[in-house]
Amino acid sequence: MSDALVTVTIDGIEVQVPQGTPLIEAAKQAGILVPHYCYHPSLPSPAVCRMCLVEVEKAPKLLPACVTTVTDGQVVHVNSDAALKARESVLEFLLINHPLDCPICDQAGECELQDYVFQEGRAATRYADYAKRFNPVEDFGPDVLYIPNRCILCTRCVRFMEAVAEEPVLNVSERGDRAYIGIFPDATLDHEWAGNVVDLCPVGSLVSKDFLHKARAWDLDRTASICPGCSQGCNMTIDTRDNVVVRLRPRPNMDVNRHFMCDTGRQDYRWMNRGDRIEAPLIRAGNKLQAVDWASALDRVADTLRGADGKAVILASARASTESLGMTHRLLDGFDLTAAVRVPTGHEAPLAGIANLALREERTPNVAGAELTGYTRSWDEALELAGSAQVVVVLDEALTADEFDRVRAAGTVIVLGTIDHQAYQAADIVLPIATMAEEHGSYVNRDGRAQVYRQAKASPGMARPAWWVAAEAGGRLAEGRAVPATAGDAIVMLGQSIPALAGLTYQSMGFIGRPVATASGVAS
Amino acid sequence: MAITVKVMKRPTNEISYVRAALKGMRLTFKHMLQPSVTMQYPEEKSQDDWTISQRWRGTHRMLTDEEGRSKCVACGLCPQICPANCIKLVPGEDENGNRYPLIYEIDEFRCVFCGYCQEVCPEEAIHVGVHYENAEYERARFVYDLERLQAQTHPVSTLWDPSDPRGE
Repeated sequence: MSDALVTVTIDGIEVQVPQGTPLIEAAKQAGILVPHYCYHPSLPSPAVCRMCLVEVEKAPKLLPACVTTVTDGQVVHVNSDAALKARESVLEFLLINHPLDCPICDQAGECELQDYVFQEGRAATRYADYAKRFNPVEDFGPDVLYIPNRCILCTRCVRFMEAVAEEPVLNVSERGDRAYIGIFPDATLDHEWAGNVVDLCPVGSLVSKDFLHKARAWDLDRTASICPGCSQGCNMTIDTRDNVVVRLRPRPNMDVNRHFMCDTGRQDYRWMNRGDRIEAPLIRAGNKLQAVDWASALDRVADTLRGADGKAVILASARASTESLGMTHRLLDGFDLTAAVRVPTGHEAPLAGIANLALREERTPNVAGAELTGYTRSWDEALELAGSAQVVVVLDEALTADEFDRVRAAGTVIVLGTIDHQAYQAADIVLPIATMAEEHGSYVNRDGRAQVYRQAKASPGMARPAWWVAAEAGGRLAEGRAVPATAGDAIVMLGQSIPALAGLTYQSMGFIGRPVATASGVAS
Repeated sequence: MAITVKVMKRPTNEISYVRAALKGMRLTFKHMLQPSVTMQYPEEKSQDDWTISQRWRGTHRMLTDEEGRSKCVACGLCPQICPANCIKLVPGEDENGNRYPLIYEIDEFRCVFCGYCQEVCPEEAIHVGVHYENAEYERARFVYDLERLQAQTHPVSTLWDPSDPRGE
C-alpha cells in the first residue's frame, strides 16, 4: 500500500483517501454510513453479510464496500435505487428467521438490525406462512450467552476469536438456513478478552449474562471514561442508569485499545456503586470523629500543616487522578516529603492479535502519572517512614488494619478516602472524596499517554474530588496560592511546575488522549 | 334655602313580587308533573342510557395469559413513552428464562390517561380501562401494583384507530 491519495466520488461527495482504503471507510470520510454487519474495522473482512453492497459506476454488479478498495476516479452510489433494493432484499432474508423479540431482547435500542430495517427494510414480511427456525439458547462461557434465533451469521465473533484473540473456539456449524454459531466440544468462551464478542455482535445474539435484563439501551447515560483496571488505560464508556453504573464498554481508540476491552476491566464496576461511603468531612474531637462542614475541615487541615514541619509521607493510590496526586503533593511541598503509590499486581493477559494491548500486570491506571507528579513505587519504605512522620496523608488507598496501625503512630493522619473503613476511626481528619466515576480527571497510561475521563455519576453526600480538597486546603495554608476552579485548571496549574505536563489541557487531550514525556522517556 | 327633592312615583305594577312568585311557581309545578331525568347515582346506575364511550381512558388493567400470568415482558417501552413518568418497572427473569416484570407499578395520581402505554405495548398487556369509579380512602392506594392491575375486571379501552377514524 502506498501513501498516494486517490480521489473518489461517493454520493456526489468527493473525498481523497489513501490507496488501498476500503470503500466503506472512504464513505465514512465522506460522512456516509454504508450499512454493514460483517465488516468491522478491527477484524478481517469476509464480505459475508452482503449488506454493504454499493453501486460502482462501470462495474457490472453491485460491489461489497467492505472489501472493494478505492481506485482513482471511482464514482460510487451508496443510496442509489439498485443499492437500496439490494439492501432491502438482504434485510428481508435476515428477517426470515429472526424472531423479532425486540421487547425482550437486550440489544433493542442499539441493534443494527433494528436500525437498518427501520431505515430501509420492508414494512411487512412475505414469509408469514412458514415457521421460523428454532434453536435453544446456548451457554458459551462465564459471561456470554448465545441466542441462535437472533443470529444473522455475520461471523464477527468467530473472526474475533480466530484472528484477534487467536483462540479459535467458535465456528459456523451446519449450513444454509440451519447454520448457527457453534462452540467446539468441551471448549468454553473463557478467554480473558472474550467479552468483546458481545460488543461486536451487531444484534442481540451474543449477550452478556452480567447485563442481561438489567437496563434498556435507551435508559442509559453514556460517559466517556478510562478503564481504571490496569496501566494499559483502555478507553471505555461508563453506562449509568439513575446514577448507578450498570456496565462498562470499550470506546474506540486506535492508539490504545482499538475497539476492545478485557473482561477484568469490564466487570470492574461494582465498587463504583458502593453505598458504604464517607459522606461528610470528619475531624477528631476528643476520642471520636465528628462530622463538620468543608470550611472547618479544610481549616483544620491547614492549621495542622502550618504547625508541623519535618517529615511528611503521602500514601496514595495510583487510581487517583494526576490532578489529585499532583495537588496533594503540592499541599505538602514545604515538608521533607516522601510520596509513594501502591501498585497491586496480577497476571498479564495480552490480546494476541493486537500489538501492545494487554491486561497489564500493574493493576492501577495512573502509575506513570504518579511518577510524573513526584511519587515513587517504594510503598514499603514509605510505610516504614510513616510511623515516625509528622504528617501522613492517605490518598484514596484502602490501608489494611495492620498498615493503619503502623501509620497511626504519626503526628497527624489525614485520610482522603471514599469507603468508610473501620480503621479510619483512628485517623485525625477524614475527608470524603469522589471516585473516578464521580469526577473529571486524567490518567497517564504506561505508554505515557495522558487521557481524560469524565464524570459519570454524582458523588454521595459532601464528597468532593481529591484535587479540590487538596488545592483548597493548600489555598488556606499559603496565602495567595492560586486554587484551581476546575479539574481542567488543576492540570494546567500542574503543567506550570511539572515540565512533562507543560501545555497539557483537557482540550488538547480530547477524547483520545495525548502523549506526554514520562519518567522513562518520551512516549512513542 | 330649602332643598327641593324630586319624588318619583313608584311603578307598583312592575315591581310586584306576587307576579314573579307566581311565574316561578308555575315553572316548578310544570316540572313536578314531568318525568324525572335525574339518576340517583351512586345508589342507582342505569345500564343502558348512561354508558360511557368504548374509547374512554380510565385506570389501567394488565391482561393475563391462559395461565394467569401477566402478559408483560418488561420491555420498558411504557415507562419510556409515559409523559407523566408514572410507571415503575423493574425487569427480571423467571425460572424458565423468560423476561417478566419483578415490579410493575402505576401511580394513577400521576397518570394523565393519555393511553400511550396501551398504544406502545408490543404484547398488548397493559391497557387503559373503561372505568371511572376510583375512589379510595388513602393516597397510597392509588399506586396500583402488578397484582392489582391484573385483578381489575373492567373492560379495556378501544383506542382511536387512525385507519378507522369514525369507528368505535
